[in-house]
Amino acid sequence: MSPDRRLGRQALARAALTYLAEPGDPALGALLEICEPADVLTAIKAGTLPGTGPGCGDSPASRRALELALSRWRSRLPRLPDDTGLVAACRDGIRLVCPGDPEWPGGLDELGSARPYALWVRGHANLRLACLRSVSMVGARAATGYGAHVAGEIAADLGERGWVIVSGGAYGIDAAAHRGALAVGAATIAVLACGVDYAYPAGHAGLFADITARGLVISEWPPGRHPARLRFLIRNRTIAAVTCGTVIVEAGERSGALNTARHAAQLGKPLMAVPGPVTSAQSAGCHRIIREWGATCVTRADDVIEMLVPLGAPAGTATTAGTTPSPARGAAPSRDELDIDSARVLDALPARGGAGTSTIAAEAGVDLDTVLRCLGLLAGSGFIERCDRGWRLRKPHA
Amino acid sequence: MPLARTSSVALVGVTGHVVEVEVDIANGLVGMILVGLPDTALREARDRIRAAITNSGEQWPQRKITVGLSPASLPKRGSWFDLAIAVGVLTAAGTIPRAASDGVMFFGELGLDGQLRPVRGVLPAVAAAAGDRRFDTVMVAEQNAPEAALVPGMRVIRAATLIAATDWLRGTPGLRGDRPAAEFHPGQERADGPTASPDTAPALDLAEMLGQSMARRAAEVSAAGGHHLSLLGPPGAGKTMLAERIPTILPRLDAKAALEVTAIHSVAGTLPPKVPLLTDPPFLAPHHTATKAAIVGGGSGIIRPGSASLAHRGVLFLDEAPEFARDVLDALRQPLEAGEVVVARSGVSTRFPARFTLVLAANPCPCARAAGPAEGCSCSPATRRRYLGRLSGPLLDRVDVKIELEPVGRKELLNDRSFAESSHTVALRVAEARGRAAHRLHGTPWRLNGEIPGSELRRTWPPAPGALAVVERSLERGQITARGVVKVVRVAWTIADLAGRPRPAKDECHTALGLWLGVQR
Repeated sequence: MSPDRRLGRQALARAALTYLAEPGDPALGALLEICEPADVLTAIKAGTLPGTGPGCGDSPASRRALELALSRWRSRLPRLPDDTGLVAACRDGIRLVCPGDPEWPGGLDELGSARPYALWVRGHANLRLACLRSVSMVGARAATGYGAHVAGEIAADLGERGWVIVSGGAYGIDAAAHRGALAVGAATIAVLACGVDYAYPAGHAGLFADITARGLVISEWPPGRHPARLRFLIRNRTIAAVTCGTVIVEAGERSGALNTARHAAQLGKPLMAVPGPVTSAQSAGCHRIIREWGATCVTRADDVIEMLVPLGAPAGTATTAGTTPSPARGAAPSRDELDIDSARVLDALPARGGAGTSTIAAEAGVDLDTVLRCLGLLAGSGFIERCDRGWRLRKPHA
Repeated sequence: MPLARTSSVALVGVTGHVVEVEVDIANGLVGMILVGLPDTALREARDRIRAAITNSGEQWPQRKITVGLSPASLPKRGSWFDLAIAVGVLTAAGTIPRAASDGVMFFGELGLDGQLRPVRGVLPAVAAAAGDRRFDTVMVAEQNAPEAALVPGMRVIRAATLIAATDWLRGTPGLRGDRPAAEFHPGQERADGPTASPDTAPALDLAEMLGQSMARRAAEVSAAGGHHLSLLGPPGAGKTMLAERIPTILPRLDAKAALEVTAIHSVAGTLPPKVPLLTDPPFLAPHHTATKAAIVGGGSGIIRPGSASLAHRGVLFLDEAPEFARDVLDALRQPLEAGEVVVARSGVSTRFPARFTLVLAANPCPCARAAGPAEGCSCSPATRRRYLGRLSGPLLDRVDVKIELEPVGRKELLNDRSFAESSHTVALRVAEARGRAAHRLHGTPWRLNGEIPGSELRRTWPPAPGALAVVERSLERGQITARGVVKVVRVAWTIADLAGRPRPAKDECHTALGLWLGVQR
């Protein structure tokens, strides 16, 4: 199998470009908007500026910037693997997704010239479908117990309703969000600032393995690339761009999460923040973006969905592949959906206080087996609960 | 040649091992020595046998008598070797024909006056003899004859005294004494007098549990699936009453189980004298001060089965379960896990079967006064939690059905009248459900749903697709735990068996969930 078969010529060129240029390089982004990736790669290898077409080096200043960029890219040429090496990078379930591929998330195109050259993806889910109903949830690495708890809860609730949680795979809030989604069997995406084969932080190797099994690990950096401080900031724009909205759970005054929030705000995506104690330094950033950037204050999954789903659209059900919760899970029936016996039994419960099993059966006019079955259904669905004198109605808010 | 051989049985737990008794009479210092790991009771046999033989009008050989019990490595305990040794001595002395004791197993203790006394463990001993082709006859004390006759294929000779025994062996039964040894036929005792002792206690019935419909249902499920049961409730709610009625809805023991249970009770010495075969499932309710040895078995001399083994194929009821010593409760883990108890003592480890249904009962708090403002309970929540916390852990993990009994109100009593069913009705359903489960579990090591491990349940017997939706939902709400789900599924299978359904669907899972959630948290 020739290299070109598995990765097309243009895809191969994009793969090479991820090795040569740092993601988010404006010069390469501008070039790729007007030239084919393969031509750009050929030009870089030849050391000449690609073409002199329109928009390319119109002014001496931009010409100069392009020349600088060229030397920057060429400095990495010796470390660029050959075509066979590039194809070989697609091993262990790693694959390359390029702009224009069916799997390419449309949200990234909103980044314009700053959009990734290509994405290295690990995992089986379909990236585009997963991103269609996705929320990014990011926050402080040094999260408090409160933050981790809230992140996990909201992520689990969202995951249960078919939303995919996108986060950065870091310690703290990121990990809590990923774990919350995984806990309910939902898909989740980790966007890394290093190669997808590289576990950073190393303590999350197991988490990344879980995410790969159930969701996706993606990165703009080629396999084998190590993380660097600046790369996290560049990565953040991808997190904001692939998702429908961004939730900041805990962020200090100078948190990197605020950088993600800024990208989301710039892209015009819904920006949400979970409030914390006003005395907590870990929530100061959240409060600031609520106050200054108009982020929406959210406290639970319902609030988040309300922000993301257009009015009138059904908020609950999962439709996309890879995001469907396991079939055994299902919402408990609402009061209107109860079968006739269960509805009767529910009506037979006294408005106040409790009643014994046989009393309820006599009141509802059903036999003992039926009443036991219905009581189980009603208790499991949260309508009733056990009390000193049998069963009683459960308070609606509980 | 002054050497004689007779046979008896040594018991290790409920397993009998044939022991050969060799008696050698030789010149030497007058006396008698016993070799072959005898215990104290057996060593005392020397004096008992000598007195018994002399008092029976026989001649005691004034020479050196050596009695060997083989296999020598097997510890021999108890007093039932007396008869075998006495016959051996008389045979070696030449007063009993050598051929007379061929194929005969001797089992009995001798009094100083030559009376043959009844002993424990006759059933497993005779069963061991029956398993050995060399024996077709067993000689026991009169009182042990009905028990010995439970083993098919053995001729049982009952003898009241050593005189009767020796006369029978010499082929002249009835020569001396007025009670000759004779073959025992089951049924002949019946003619002697009222034997099938009518139960003087009034029969218990599940219908008396009026107003406790959940509890009745829980008992039924527990009986049908062999599920361990936990009852929580204030005094007077009917915990003990319910537990006592569970045996009334259990099916009678089949022939094999009846022999197993009878053997255990025989070793423990708790068999009723006239009609020894136990066909009703046993019900054991040890007091909460019981020691570990009393519950799981033990003892320094003869290792006795404990309550757990005596409750084999029946119900072990621990009333006031949190009051039991911690190590006693912990010791129950092995039988709950393996269905048998292994007691290790010097030289020998003993196995007792112990596959019982555990029923735990507990008050909500240690003061045992009902909760509520007027009832006088002043226990703090922390005290209550600690009290019930004694039960938690591995023991409660094995309980599939837990219910809370509350004092019954007048309204509930009235309404429940139309629902209460008699033990007989429920027992029929239970028997059918057990039959269905046994059919389904054919070819597996299990016979009841309660015995299936959780992993196997998940793999091989999941409920119908979608049946668990509400259960999963309450798992997410935190109403039940993942382990609780397994129990709900296990109980749902039993409910399906009771209802005659091939597989638990939504309805069965909901009922099981209702039973599981029927406890306040």
